[in-house]
Amino acid sequence: MATQAQAAAPGGLKQHFSNWRLALVIAIVAIPGSVFLFPLETAFWVSFGAVILVTATVVTRAWGRRPGPLLVAPALATLLVMNIFPLLWSLGLSFFHFRANRLSPPRFAGLNYFEKVISDPNVWDRLQTTAIVVVLTVGIQLIVGFLLALMFEREFPGRRILLMLVLTPMMLSFVAVGAFFRYYYEPTFGLLSQAVRLVTGEPYILLASPEGAIAGIVFADAWMWSPFVMLLVLAGLVSVPKYLYEAAEIDRASWWRRFRTITLPYIRGLLLLALLFRTIEAFKLFDVVFLITEGGPGTSTETIAVYLYRVSFQYFKTAESSALAYILIFIVIVLTNLYLYFVQQREKEEEAPA
Amino acid sequence: MKTLKTFVGALASAALLGSALAVQPATAKDIVLRMAVPDWPPTRTMKDLADKHYKAPSGNNVVLEPDFIPWPDYYTRLAASLTSGEQKYQMAVSDSQWLGANIEGGYYMKLNDFIDADPELQAVFKDLHPTLVSAYSTYPHIGAAELAEVGFPHPDADYYGFPQMPDVIITYYRTDVFCDEGERAAFNEKYGKMLPCTPEEMNDVDWDLVANIGEFFGRKAGETLAGETLDDDFYGIAYQAGKAYDFSSMEINGFIWQHGGSIWDETNAPEGQAEGVVNSPESVKGFEHYLSMLKYMPPVVQTGTMDVFKVDELFREGKVAWILQWIGFGESAISADTSKVHDRVGFAMHPGLRMPDGTINRTANIGGQPFVLTTWNSDEVIREAIDFVKWWLSSEVQTMFAQGGGQSGLQSVHFSDDYASYRPWNHAFGPSLEWQRDVWHIPEFFELLVQQQEEFDKAITGQKSAKDAMDAIAAFQQELLTEAGHIE
Repeated sequence: MATQAQAAAPGGLKQHFSNWRLALVIAIVAIPGSVFLFPLETAFWVSFGAVILVTATVVTRAWGRRPGPLLVAPALATLLVMNIFPLLWSLGLSFFHFRANRLSPPRFAGLNYFEKVISDPNVWDRLQTTAIVVVLTVGIQLIVGFLLALMFEREFPGRRILLMLVLTPMMLSFVAVGAFFRYYYEPTFGLLSQAVRLVTGEPYILLASPEGAIAGIVFADAWMWSPFVMLLVLAGLVSVPKYLYEAAEIDRASWWRRFRTITLPYIRGLLLLALLFRTIEAFKLFDVVFLITEGGPGTSTETIAVYLYRVSFQYFKTAESSALAYILIFIVIVLTNLYLYFVQQREKEEEAPA
Repeated sequence: MKTLKTFVGALASAALLGSALAVQPATAKDIVLRMAVPDWPPTRTMKDLADKHYKAPSGNNVVLEPDFIPWPDYYTRLAASLTSGEQKYQMAVSDSQWLGANIEGGYYMKLNDFIDADPELQAVFKDLHPTLVSAYSTYPHIGAAELAEVGFPHPDADYYGFPQMPDVIITYYRTDVFCDEGERAAFNEKYGKMLPCTPEEMNDVDWDLVANIGEFFGRKAGETLAGETLDDDFYGIAYQAGKAYDFSSMEINGFIWQHGGSIWDETNAPEGQAEGVVNSPESVKGFEHYLSMLKYMPPVVQTGTMDVFKVDELFREGKVAWILQWIGFGESAISADTSKVHDRVGFAMHPGLRMPDGTINRTANIGGQPFVLTTWNSDEVIREAIDFVKWWLSSEVQTMFAQGGGQSGLQSVHFSDDYASYRPWNHAFGPSLEWQRDVWHIPEFFELLVQQQEEFDKAITGQKSAKDAMDAIAAFQQELLTEAGHIE
């Protein structure tokens, strides 16, 4: 709107519409004022108008003068509205007594919910389960992904088609994978049970024990995400210059030595990146667990993400779930930073003697 | 000349339009009743009936616009819409357990003033089975026995919902295997009892006979069943024993009540305790009885994923002889499109515990859903919604609903002579109602339910004894309910 006016009447109105400082002052006065003076709905529209006014003046001001920031602005605004604002809002909620499905207004609770979450034995139990799942699934993904990458590094007939097939699980939706494995493990109709029965004569019930259920979940998740690790490692392998291998061959270096001194340094960065990505993702594991076992038998496969879902959207303990979510985010950030720190230390140590 | 013609034409068409308008009231409006509903046959049938037959008595153009949501997502989607404040729905179908949470949240509208002012609504409530009024309408909850004793209207009752689809658990069984002469002779020889075949015989089945049936029909691939060689394993019985939602509690509660035990009873609050009641010896015995028959079921039961959908699937695939299932699943069991056994299914009442006097105690947990009005509607929309409710709960429409596969909560309809002829399972519905009780309606129900389902699941999958599971449930409920002020 502002830009149209500017185009129609250059000069005269331009001065007026680009006065963003005045607009900001108006907004700062108008928004709290309307909240106090008018009913909620009117206040909303007044505030909305004020925000539009400020945006329009800022855009008019920046038009032609600062094209860079102006181009980035929509993305930043979206991030602010859709991500940052809800994040801060929920952080605020975690300090109040508040349940989204009750009428009573929020009351200040201080650190009450953080204390409650940290001293909740359920949380510690679910974190242990999560840790077991993360270690197993990420470990298997790294090993399988690595071996697959070594296999696909070489040219062989049908490589392209096979590669495409191997990559498919990663592209399926979580729901499809969950539903698929639920049937795969099913003792009456399932493929796994039918196959075992050919040998033993008895149906095979994988998900009946806590260990079996964890194995089932880890297998499903590893099946889905090993291709991702493979893709990263393959990119590293392809980037190794051929002449290094040729030189090593002339030197008659063993396979292991070639791998350790040539291949590994090239792919280590990507491998560590894969480890980081997959650990963060596995820490948040929800879909596959919820679809295959619902956290059962008992609570033996209930990851922290499933527990968080229950607290938040089944019990509607909004404040408590916000506190738990923030503690989880904190754990992930701390772990990630520790990890990056160690990686950098290693790199420094290795560079030092050279 | 031309101008005159045009003028006359305009005049004529104006007159026509005027007379056409006079037929309709001058204020006829388009009103949409948007209703959140789970996606299954009873709600689809309601939409069809409303489109074909509903004319609002006010003369407005009222359209029922259901938002069909898949069952597994239903609670989350409805709760998200209500709590977000988007005020999207004028009406909603609600599981009875959700009443407390959504009434305390301020989303469901209290109906007392409308009932008091409207003799037609009063007549509807008097005709509804007290069990359904108790489970679907009252909050705080009032038991069916008390409602039946005091009559309508109960002076202390707050009314909220109307029955959309009343549902009870009944027996589904395979007539081809139960009525096979060879099997009947073999069963008689082995147990000295008669294998039930007709619905009347099946109505006389107690849990002891169910256990015999479970053992008797457990067959391996290669063995024969009703004269035919099996190419896959076959199982005697199945009932719900899944961890998700309420897919074990709904059956376990029945066992507990039949053995004289109790769940935490909200009508006794705040004096009624959880500790010592929930884990009383009778309650534990009921749960042990429930667990004792799991060994006759398809092996999936050991994984804690035997929910009602799995029970339904196993039966339709022809893997089980006898199941307990919600009556609402009947249509898919007898439809040739979905069921391999569609032409050989019999129906009977829920079995129970044989009492010393020879009668059967078949107390069970009621299912089904009420529908409610939300609190943010204009007076005009409320009037139209109440008119719609009255139309829905009229005898003619309820009869059409029952003919289309639904169930009616009106006693004048479900006890009528023709009712049993509409659908093969209908004979089991009316007599079952007096045996139904309901689980809690308090806002904390989901926490109670999830923890209970987890503990039940530990016992079902063999990680815990029945007693330990019940002790854990009682301790949790005692603490939570005391904290919430339901126990003092």
